[in-house]
Amino acid sequence: MSKLNATDIQGFVLRGYNLPVGRYLFLHLEDATRARKMIGQLLGQVTTGQRWDGGKPDSTMNIAFTHKGLAALDLPLATLITFPVEFQDGMKERSGILGDTGLNAPERWDDVWRGDRVHMWLGVNAKSPEALEARCAKLLATIQESGGATLLGSQDAAAVVIDGKPTTREHFGYTDGFGNPEYLGVERSSQPGQGKLLADGTWAPLATGELLLGYADEAGELPVAPVPHLLAANGTFMVYRKLHQNLATFRAYLDEQAALYGGGKEKLAAKFIGRWRDGTPLELSPDKPDFPLTQDPKRSTNFTYGADPEGTRCPLGAHVRRVHPRDDFGFHGKLIDRRRITRRGLPYGAFVPEGEPVSDSEDRGVIFMALNASISRQFEFVQQQWIGYGNDAHLGNDKDMLIGNHGGRGRFVVQGDTRPENPPFICSNMPNFVELRGGEYFFLPSITALGMIALSLVDPR
Amino acid sequence: MSNINGKVYAMNAITPMKPWKTWILRGFFFVLGRVKPLQQDLINLSFIEFARWVVLPRRGFPFLGNGQKREELQYDYLLFFSNFNGTWNQYIDAFSAVLSRGLNLIWRWSEKFPGSVPVTPFKNYIAQVQFDTDYYYTAYPRATANDLKSAHIVQTSLDALSLRAQDYTPAQFAEAYLHFVIQVQAHLGETGDAPVVF
Repeated sequence: MSKLNATDIQGFVLRGYNLPVGRYLFLHLEDATRARKMIGQLLGQVTTGQRWDGGKPDSTMNIAFTHKGLAALDLPLATLITFPVEFQDGMKERSGILGDTGLNAPERWDDVWRGDRVHMWLGVNAKSPEALEARCAKLLATIQESGGATLLGSQDAAAVVIDGKPTTREHFGYTDGFGNPEYLGVERSSQPGQGKLLADGTWAPLATGELLLGYADEAGELPVAPVPHLLAANGTFMVYRKLHQNLATFRAYLDEQAALYGGGKEKLAAKFIGRWRDGTPLELSPDKPDFPLTQDPKRSTNFTYGADPEGTRCPLGAHVRRVHPRDDFGFHGKLIDRRRITRRGLPYGAFVPEGEPVSDSEDRGVIFMALNASISRQFEFVQQQWIGYGNDAHLGNDKDMLIGNHGGRGRFVVQGDTRPENPPFICSNMPNFVELRGGEYFFLPSITALGMIALSLVDPR
Repeated sequence: MSNINGKVYAMNAITPMKPWKTWILRGFFFVLGRVKPLQQDLINLSFIEFARWVVLPRRGFPFLGNGQKREELQYDYLLFFSNFNGTWNQYIDAFSAVLSRGLNLIWRWSEKFPGSVPVTPFKNYIAQVQFDTDYYYTAYPRATANDLKSAHIVQTSLDALSLRAQDYTPAQFAEAYLHFVIQVQAHLGETGDAPVVF
């Protein structure tokens, strides 16, 4: 396949910017005419997927809309009804399907997500806090002048800084960001373990249509997309979720269980997610972390679970094994190729080193943003079947250890062997280590589609 | 009246076949029934409790006399019946992704079968020929096939342990217990409600 038309695709879709700070602005569109004019003004500033030959920019900006936002822009009804049902519904309406109940129920979300007022997401990433402030001030001035939208709220996020350097750690101490898949046509350095597994044991990029609308997907067909084609092509859907982390609870639970576990605290922490906290996959190094391995792109994601069917190296319910089961369900991974998502996002809130006082009520967590061509087939399936449920992994109703909505009744089996340093172990009465504080489903249009929206040229035929 | 009972879904599909084609399908079923490796892919889909295809020949329908009019049917029919865990979409997606060749060999003799890849025309076809379930009994609505298989392993291992344990010293028991836990450790998932259907 030839390269994609990167200048027509928002940069946020094609690459993780790897910029240390970000701010996500949530806008309510006030008047269709003025809002369209505003989008026209912002259009030239949207960061595209074009290569950064002159180095990284100081800041980036991207745009996405909720279904209500597209309606507020007066898109024709004939177009609005062609969007996939789950996107029309919005994330709140899907809470039953997603298992967003109890502590994660919409009634408990942040104010900005409780109403139906968010129409537009404006994502800004920057090299420094100063660059972020400057870019946001400029954007807000444009928005204000246009009279097209009001700012409902914003979310700051930033890479966790340790010893003065931005890292890829999240608040629980795990190194994050290994798992994103590769897609045909998306320029990226290739890494075994990040696409789809082939019958001969090698890895290949996934079909473009798993990420972008308008291209063939892994089933050999075009993803469900709105009409007209030009509005959909080169666009994608984004799932935005604010995941609050109960850091005090997590640390206390880990300490309490580690006191009973023969393998030691760091090993137990590794068993929870399937990687040591420095990122070393348990499957490749079950007894100790191996930092050089995490730095080697040929090895850090290059593994399968076929030789570990009982989970004695990496537990069957470990987070990374659940959300990317690789060859676990047989058929050379074919059953998972249409369930992959691309993750963007950053942590938010202050990082607290281990041993220092910390409280669950402090505002901290991860802004989870996932990109996929079909929210229902990809994100919702993973969330419902692999995070909130366990049948595919032969784990009954057990939920994902780390991000499952346990409500105090969670259970997690650490499979082991006869060695005292790797004993079988059962964690029970698990609380929620992570709570959902809100979110929504967005459509991230192509540059062409943004222009069509701005000029009111969306013609459903 | 629903196709769903707890964690199990019952699917019935009936498709017409030109009678001369039925013989080809019978030939294929004959081979499939005797060459076990050909069934392996279907068996390896662990969320399928069972799947069965049955040919209903056009002259095989009951004739009761007593004024029932003689009918000359033009088609034989293929009945497909399956119980599975998970969603309708998940089931058909999996069929299309990993069993497409086998399914095509079974269904291509049916009228208007579009092929099992790409998946959307295949789904539309199944939706059109599917008959909804009127009555559905399931013994364990809160368990999947995997859950039941796991339960058997746990029960068998526990029975064996308790039988042997009578004469163990505490040290022997500790070792036997560890081996028991290792035997069952991959089979301890809880049963419970099915996720919301979507």
